[in-house]
Amino acid sequence: MQFEVLAKCHTTRARVSKMRLAHGVTMLPTFMPVATQAAIKGLTPQQVEALGVNLILNNTYHLNLRPGIQVLKEAGGAHKFQGWNHNLLTDSGGFQLVSLSKFTKITEEGALFASPFDGKPTMLTPEESISIQHAIGADIVMQLDDVVSSLTVGPRVEEAMWRTIRWLDRCIEFHQKSGRDDVQNLFAIVQGGLDPELRDKCLDEMIARRDRVAGYAIGGLSGGEEKDIFWRVIKQCADKLPEDRPRYSMGIGFAEDLLVCVALGVDMADCVFPTRTARFGVALTPTGPLNLRLSKHAADMRPIEEGCPCPTCASGTARAILHHNATLETATAHAITQHNLVFQARIMGGARDAIINGTFPDYLKNFFANYFGDAGYPEWCVNALRSVGVDLLEGRSDVKVISGDGAKWEYSDAA
Amino acid sequence: MTFRRPPLELELVTFIPSSLLDFISHAYAHGKLNRFLRVPLARTVPCSPSYIARRTRTSMAARSHSLFTPSSPPPKFGPRTGTLTIRRDGQEVLHKTETPALLTATSRGLVPHLSRDHVHRTRVIRHIQLPFESFIDRNPPVPTLVDGPHPLHTFLGYSSDSHILTMTLRDPSDGRKMPPNGNDFVAAHCTRGVRKVTTSSWNTFVEKCKPDIVKRLTKSIERSIAWITNLLKVPAAVHSDTAHRQSRHVFLQMAGGINPEARAEFAERLTDPVDHKDADALAPYNTLDDGISGYVIDLLPLRAALAVESRKPIDEGDLAGGLVRVSDRHRSSLDSSSRLAELLQCSLQVLPEEKLRVLNSPVSPHEVLRLVRDVGVDLLDSFWAQRAADMGIALDFRFPVPDDLESSHTTCKPPRKRVNGKSDLGHNLFDSSYVHDHTRLASSFPDGLTADKSEVHGHPACDCEACSPRAPSSRVLHSAVDVHAWQDSSCPTSPNALQPPMTRSYVHHLLHTHEMSAHALLAMHNVTVFSAFLDGIRATIARGPEEFAREVCRFEEVYDEELVLWSEAEVMWLQVERARGKGRLAREKEKQVESTIGTAVDL
Repeated sequence: MQFEVLAKCHTTRARVSKMRLAHGVTMLPTFMPVATQAAIKGLTPQQVEALGVNLILNNTYHLNLRPGIQVLKEAGGAHKFQGWNHNLLTDSGGFQLVSLSKFTKITEEGALFASPFDGKPTMLTPEESISIQHAIGADIVMQLDDVVSSLTVGPRVEEAMWRTIRWLDRCIEFHQKSGRDDVQNLFAIVQGGLDPELRDKCLDEMIARRDRVAGYAIGGLSGGEEKDIFWRVIKQCADKLPEDRPRYSMGIGFAEDLLVCVALGVDMADCVFPTRTARFGVALTPTGPLNLRLSKHAADMRPIEEGCPCPTCASGTARAILHHNATLETATAHAITQHNLVFQARIMGGARDAIINGTFPDYLKNFFANYFGDAGYPEWCVNALRSVGVDLLEGRSDVKVISGDGAKWEYSDAA
Repeated sequence: MTFRRPPLELELVTFIPSSLLDFISHAYAHGKLNRFLRVPLARTVPCSPSYIARRTRTSMAARSHSLFTPSSPPPKFGPRTGTLTIRRDGQEVLHKTETPALLTATSRGLVPHLSRDHVHRTRVIRHIQLPFESFIDRNPPVPTLVDGPHPLHTFLGYSSDSHILTMTLRDPSDGRKMPPNGNDFVAAHCTRGVRKVTTSSWNTFVEKCKPDIVKRLTKSIERSIAWITNLLKVPAAVHSDTAHRQSRHVFLQMAGGINPEARAEFAERLTDPVDHKDADALAPYNTLDDGISGYVIDLLPLRAALAVESRKPIDEGDLAGGLVRVSDRHRSSLDSSSRLAELLQCSLQVLPEEKLRVLNSPVSPHEVLRLVRDVGVDLLDSFWAQRAADMGIALDFRFPVPDDLESSHTTCKPPRKRVNGKSDLGHNLFDSSYVHDHTRLASSFPDGLTADKSEVHGHPACDCEACSPRAPSSRVLHSAVDVHAWQDSSCPTSPNALQPPMTRSYVHHLLHTHEMSAHALLAMHNVTVFSAFLDGIRATIARGPEEFAREVCRFEEVYDEELVLWSEAEVMWLQVERARGKGRLAREKEKQVESTIGTAVDL
């Protein structure tokens, strides 16, 4: 990997960087759409590329089950199998093991889980995880980590943190021995739950291995923890992690979450949210989500977002026709998916421009003002951005501040 | 009072419901038409028979010329090619289609599974059939509120330059039973239940939406003359305030069911002089056929009725809660094709052969070939090919059958052969035999990349996005530095470059993991294969009817008409759907109850 920081925000910890991998360059910060089973749902790889995306995520757990490593090897790897020519990141499979498998028992050797096919106990070791990711051929591979829910308390959290470090060492060794470490880049995953001390220890250990690690993910944070704690953990990790390594917050996709993470020094994030919500008829816009299933959109001839360059808006697709067919025609799921992926890309692209131009604090303020409007700002966002020198409330004494997660949703009246 | 026809510019073409003919038959039976014949048809026109005949021929010829032109004087029944010409804004020719040509089916206004960019990418999609009924859940229907010269195109994302829209009320491939139509309305189905659509409402929809072609169907013969009379009368009243002068071309759904006499009678009455009381308003049409430019045959109800008659009714049981449609169970056969040909000939015998013939819902290429050979058809819908995409089938066949069907494709396996020696028409990609098959979808057509590289002049490639995918011509840029990514020397794609085809193993994987992109890929592919099939028909017809008949026989010998593959695919497809929780009977029953209110609501 070649990684180069091109610009830094003079106020926040945000930066713009250029990451060159085996399948080309990706400009950071960026959002990674999730192609769980070797497809961004509903779209062809050519359609995804047309949206300006050049880095996506595949799930190792799913691909290992279907189509399986044998098929992937025959096809020449996941890029060729799915027809995706650009950068690919795979997670380790650890998260899905814990969240999807009926039975998972973590031992020092690895994760023992029930195979979804025959129920037989199957072991996923760090080495096996890397081996599967080798066969998939992703440009970025993730270590197998010992994942615990962010809501877990007690000694299990520390146990998982130390084990994750030991598993990192095993992943590094296996990866380097394979000779693939020049084409495929291994990322470590910082754990430690919500405990700053555990996080700190984990950071120290993982940073000590920086020469054998291409980047760092901040894990263990997409499990329903309070947002006001979430950002503090992100900040703590991003403050300490080396500047010359990309930082990846896993499972982050809400617009406000992404921008806060960028301000705190994060470069990449992934989430199923924008694509999943599209299939349910919700379009994301700079003025908040639009639930196109609501009858108020039934005769609205405007596009989702005026001036949006996605194929849906650029061709003048009216909200009315999206309303007519949302959740009823797959073609409409595709149309909204295309829009939502462009929305995500534009948030990050706008951030890149603003960071380079020295206007990122204003970008943040404008974004929040448009997105939340009169609904009020989530308090945790105000706190997080304040910690890096941006006061969202500056010059806006009128704005409400909402405690809690403050998600802005229109509820459907057409069930 | 003079009724002048506006200049002949095709903007709207309307299918007459068969209700008209019922009225005529009633009037005829009661002697009213006899009286009519003695009355001058229009007060401005001398009523000598020869004059009337000349006017009739002229007006017919003039209208036919502007819409459909056979390549050479066609036989009454037999394979024919021709050109369908669409004009707008004066005499400017917008679009010419060589016939027999493809009519693409839609659902709720959209080509199933295809986003707008995919519709435009699939260049064989030209003539598009649009059932309007899904839009009558709102009053007024939303498409009627769209501004501009091409509201339907604009609203649904079609290009007014390349797409010709045919607007119907109901979906001809929807075999569901409907409540009976009334004298001045037709019942149609939308998500909020069954609605009544009156003549005036339909006229308003048509006027506001401005499709290229309009069709309306009624199912039964016992309907009022009001529909057709109103439709034919409209130009004089309506065009005064529109910028575009429009001429109404009428396409008629041929009624009479599977009763040859009824079908013949229906056609006879079209050529009978119009009723006296409507003469003025219908002038210069002397007969109803004068105002008709084309004939439509819906095969679905005919096939269903034939099956009942032969005591082999089509299995309508266990439709998996709406996942499977009645039309999926239809099969063609030598026997049903010959019965259908006979019925179509009854309808068309007395009618001018130079008018357009439209065939809805053929369910096999065999059926298409026989009806092309024995009757002659010009526009055919591809619902069968499109529906196959829903079921995980990639079509893989050619017409004429290539000489090298067996031998040439060592790496890309042709479709399976059945016990009876016939080849499948495609591949059921659910099948486990495709897990390790990393070749392109259709052995009959090279993929774009191979054809491009190959120096051997072989069969033309399948140009669909699955077999000939291309890197996008441009990508959206989201920041000033994005060019660093796309223009970097390490960027693996260059705009528009041909890429390797989608593989059977990948589509198999997508089908089993319930990924929607499988259906998008198969939809684009199947409609392209079906269009190539029609290309082959045109090329073979041009070599003469005997040659065409020979090739039809060859095709019948080679390819499986029983569609065993379809039955197998349906089973596997439903397994995957059920594993995802779809098709559960209770839930589907609930949905059905919700979608039919029980009382029809007037618009």
